[in-house]
Amino acid sequence: MKVTYSWLKDFIDIKISPRELADKLTIAGLEVVSLEELEKSVSPSGRDFVFEIEITSNRPDWLSILGVAREISAITGSKLKSAKTPKVKFKGLKPIEILVAESTDCPFYSAMIIRGVKVAPSPEWLKKRLEALGCRSVNNIVDITNYVLFESGQPLHAFDLDKLSQQAIYVRRGRPNESITIIDGQQKILDNEILVIADKNRAVAIAGVMGGKNTEVTEATCNILLESAVFNPIVVRRGRQKLGLQSESAYRFERGVDLENAQNATFSALKLISALAFGKPDAYKHLGSIRPIKSVINLEMDYLSRVLGVSLSVLKVKQILSGLGFTVKVRGKNVLTVKIPSFRQDVKTQIDLVEEVARIYGYEKIPLSLPAVKPHKIIPTSREVVSDIKIILQGLGLQEAITYSLVDRLLLAKSGIKKDIPPVEILNPLSKEQEVLRFSLLPSLIRTLAYNLNQQQEYVNIFEVANVFSAKPGSAQHSTMTNESVRPSVQEELSLGIALCGARPFFIKQGLVRDEVTILHLKGILESLLNKLGVKNYDFSPRGGNQASIIIDQQEIGFIVSPSEQILNSFDIKNKQVVLGEINLVKLLSQINLTKKFTAIPKYPAITRDISFVVREDVSIRELLMAIEAKGAPLLFSAKVVDYYQGKQIPSGFRGLTVSCTYRAPERTLTEEEIAPLHNAICALLEERFGIKLR
Amino acid sequence: MDINLIQTQVENDLNTVSSASELESVRVKYLGRKGVLAELTGLIGTLPAEERGLFGKQVNSLKNKLLEFFQEKEKTLKTQGGTVDKNRQDIGLPGIAQELGSSHPIIQVIDEICGIFNRMGFSIVEGPEIETEYNNFTGLNIPLDHPSRDAFDTFYLKNYPKLLLRSHTSPVQVRAMKAYKPPLAIVVPGRVYRPDAVDASHLFMFHQIEGVLVDENISFADLKGILGLFIKSVFGEDIKMRFRPHFFPFTEPSAEVDISCIICKGKGCSVCGRKGWLEILGSGMVHPNVFKQVGYKPGKYTGFAFGMGVERIAMLKYGINDIRLFFENDLRFLKQF
Repeated sequence: MKVTYSWLKDFIDIKISPRELADKLTIAGLEVVSLEELEKSVSPSGRDFVFEIEITSNRPDWLSILGVAREISAITGSKLKSAKTPKVKFKGLKPIEILVAESTDCPFYSAMIIRGVKVAPSPEWLKKRLEALGCRSVNNIVDITNYVLFESGQPLHAFDLDKLSQQAIYVRRGRPNESITIIDGQQKILDNEILVIADKNRAVAIAGVMGGKNTEVTEATCNILLESAVFNPIVVRRGRQKLGLQSESAYRFERGVDLENAQNATFSALKLISALAFGKPDAYKHLGSIRPIKSVINLEMDYLSRVLGVSLSVLKVKQILSGLGFTVKVRGKNVLTVKIPSFRQDVKTQIDLVEEVARIYGYEKIPLSLPAVKPHKIIPTSREVVSDIKIILQGLGLQEAITYSLVDRLLLAKSGIKKDIPPVEILNPLSKEQEVLRFSLLPSLIRTLAYNLNQQQEYVNIFEVANVFSAKPGSAQHSTMTNESVRPSVQEELSLGIALCGARPFFIKQGLVRDEVTILHLKGILESLLNKLGVKNYDFSPRGGNQASIIIDQQEIGFIVSPSEQILNSFDIKNKQVVLGEINLVKLLSQINLTKKFTAIPKYPAITRDISFVVREDVSIRELLMAIEAKGAPLLFSAKVVDYYQGKQIPSGFRGLTVSCTYRAPERTLTEEEIAPLHNAICALLEERFGIKLR
Repeated sequence: MDINLIQTQVENDLNTVSSASELESVRVKYLGRKGVLAELTGLIGTLPAEERGLFGKQVNSLKNKLLEFFQEKEKTLKTQGGTVDKNRQDIGLPGIAQELGSSHPIIQVIDEICGIFNRMGFSIVEGPEIETEYNNFTGLNIPLDHPSRDAFDTFYLKNYPKLLLRSHTSPVQVRAMKAYKPPLAIVVPGRVYRPDAVDASHLFMFHQIEGVLVDENISFADLKGILGLFIKSVFGEDIKMRFRPHFFPFTEPSAEVDISCIICKGKGCSVCGRKGWLEILGSGMVHPNVFKQVGYKPGKYTGFAFGMGVERIAMLKYGINDIRLFFENDLRFLKQF
């Protein structure tokens, strides 16, 4: 909201510079976001300044020159020049017919008929005052209603009396099939949720929001009906939102206007209309109370000092509150009885008064202290383990990424990552990129890969830890606080996504090597991770295509995949292999075992025998190793692939493989003679079942 | 020829030797086929018979001595590495190691901030991103149809009435207070969502950190003390801070906390909009209505809450001028942190 220095001075003597005033207002909670000197052409009477103030939604009383002046009075101690309400003689004024259908919609309505007005351009001083606040001048009548709005905070509306079907006003809800053309020319469809002002036949204004074109004051207007009312804030807000409208009036009604001021505003306007447009009052009527119930709140001094952490004297508190317009009575040492003025409907309880005292006393004067932060029961959280996971991955060279949880539906589809259930949709996205909540991190990670490849990165290795969402009924298990009554029926689970692509350049003694990423690189990363987390019995089980499931204790916790060329092409990734992996961290976390136990170092030496052989490349190495392990038990301690080769010496369709078998007995030294038959049996089994040829 | 003199000469020669090849040439000079020792041995035959025995013994013992010397020198050279010529590397060549990855700058800032509060005794907790309308609004004293909701534009879920994407981390306050009795001291980091048009300073997803401290006698002075300590820890001892009255539905009195601009030190620049101050977080005393909602006795307990935007702090800390950089995930950006 804008206010000018000169207009404020109508209500209060200001002895400080505009800059100082801006600082003082800011520090009292009326944040001055800009302070500018007005151009000479706009301020004929000497230098003037315009303050743009951000008014918080709890303080409608600050939405006027008078309200800001009142605050300046409290801050500076300078007395408010009492705004004299012109006396109006009601004698001789005829009544007007006003019908309010529902008094909760409109607790107060007043109308005054003023005849014989001469509609003309406003005088310069009036135009300038409004223009300085960014309000366009229309004509003297409309400008006067705006002037009173900006000065006192009470919105007014003037109708062309002769365009009303009768001299009667109806305040009612919109009817089915009813519509109105508002002053800016738009046609709006009305309904039962929208409060309107109507004459006998039709709606003539959207109550508290905007007037209708059909009763607009124009240069031809001679007689007007001037409305000053109080409308229900919620009704105004809903109606305005529904119609997609915004206005200075609605802004104030939504936040709440001062009931006591509603009547006075008519008289202030009348005074100006008489002077500038020569109108004479002819009829007047108001409905509803003009005297709001003024509440009384007891402020306990103990409570005040307990909340603020500083002790103030009763006198000081009384002085602050009185300065703000509260009526304060001291009742004993500890209690103040505070009567709330009509313009402060936001003050409802003791804490509201504590804030007022603190604000004017000055937040900067409240000392700093350090409380005893008492450690309570440790709240269980997965945060530390997740942090360990991230550190391990970073140690393996991966870079952490953060991508949006909201994605384009198309992105999910083209990634080839599938779920049986459709993604959770957003009701009110601003764009396609915010359509749905993702059920997998991988689509966003592929896109991030593609972006980086496009930026000439030859090796991209990233991971993300974030929640994924699915429509499956269930509950958000990762939350540690599961006590509330309404459980989300959307599943939200922490997930780990990894994406690798390109060739990692690294040095060995002989020079640079470029290591093209394969699915085995991702397997290696995950093996290191799972081993470090103390996960036992994990397995990478082929799932068809270039894909494998990560299984722990027969439960799938995730998968690794190398997407097809077709999918990669849709992301503009050409001639590169991409490998992706995703792990459900909720499932993984339940398998993590970080407790350590010592195993004795073997006392007796092991015997290691290698088997080098050629085998068809379609033979599953995983099955082959499992067969060796089954055959070799219990003396076979481990069987590991220590080398593999495809190339010149190996016929095509085959691969060379070296498996190292380690035999060990815990209680004695094994002999060659003991091992030989077993080892030979393993070799025989491999020849027989897997068709290997020993080299 | 003085045999003792030869021994001294050999010792002197060996002292200058620093490589295997030099050692070899010294060896040839004395022990080679035409070396000094061979010469001495040749002399034996020319001597009178009665001198031969003694001279022969002396030559022999000299030879043994020299062999010992050479052996020792060879050992020393080896341990000094002087002989491993073929394995020598130019230290100017690139080092060989696995390159490390790093955490995302936003996560680094979250970890730093949570770490500071953790050391002060606050527990770090998290909450779900899909929230109920109650936790996001009503429980926090934000009534339906009130203009204060305008500050919290929110994404709602289709087909799930009353469910939304949390527009701030404050609903976790409600969850925590419902789950635990005071004293309660927590910080809550996490993702939040608002339907904002994307530009250099706005995104529809960002991160916040929320903090709450509730006990029997927690005051506004305590809020100032704790946040003062926090701000000095993040931005340095010289930073100034200012508490400015503001309005949040869930705290009262409420304050916005400004710090002296870290770019211009308070003189006024483009970053702080010539104000000299940067808005850094929102805070206040937990509103008694919130206590009522969660079942805490408002008369018994007082407490404070605060919340901050992580991206804003990260941008100030690292001098980043476009918020979109955080989620573009350009490796040339990420690797700087």
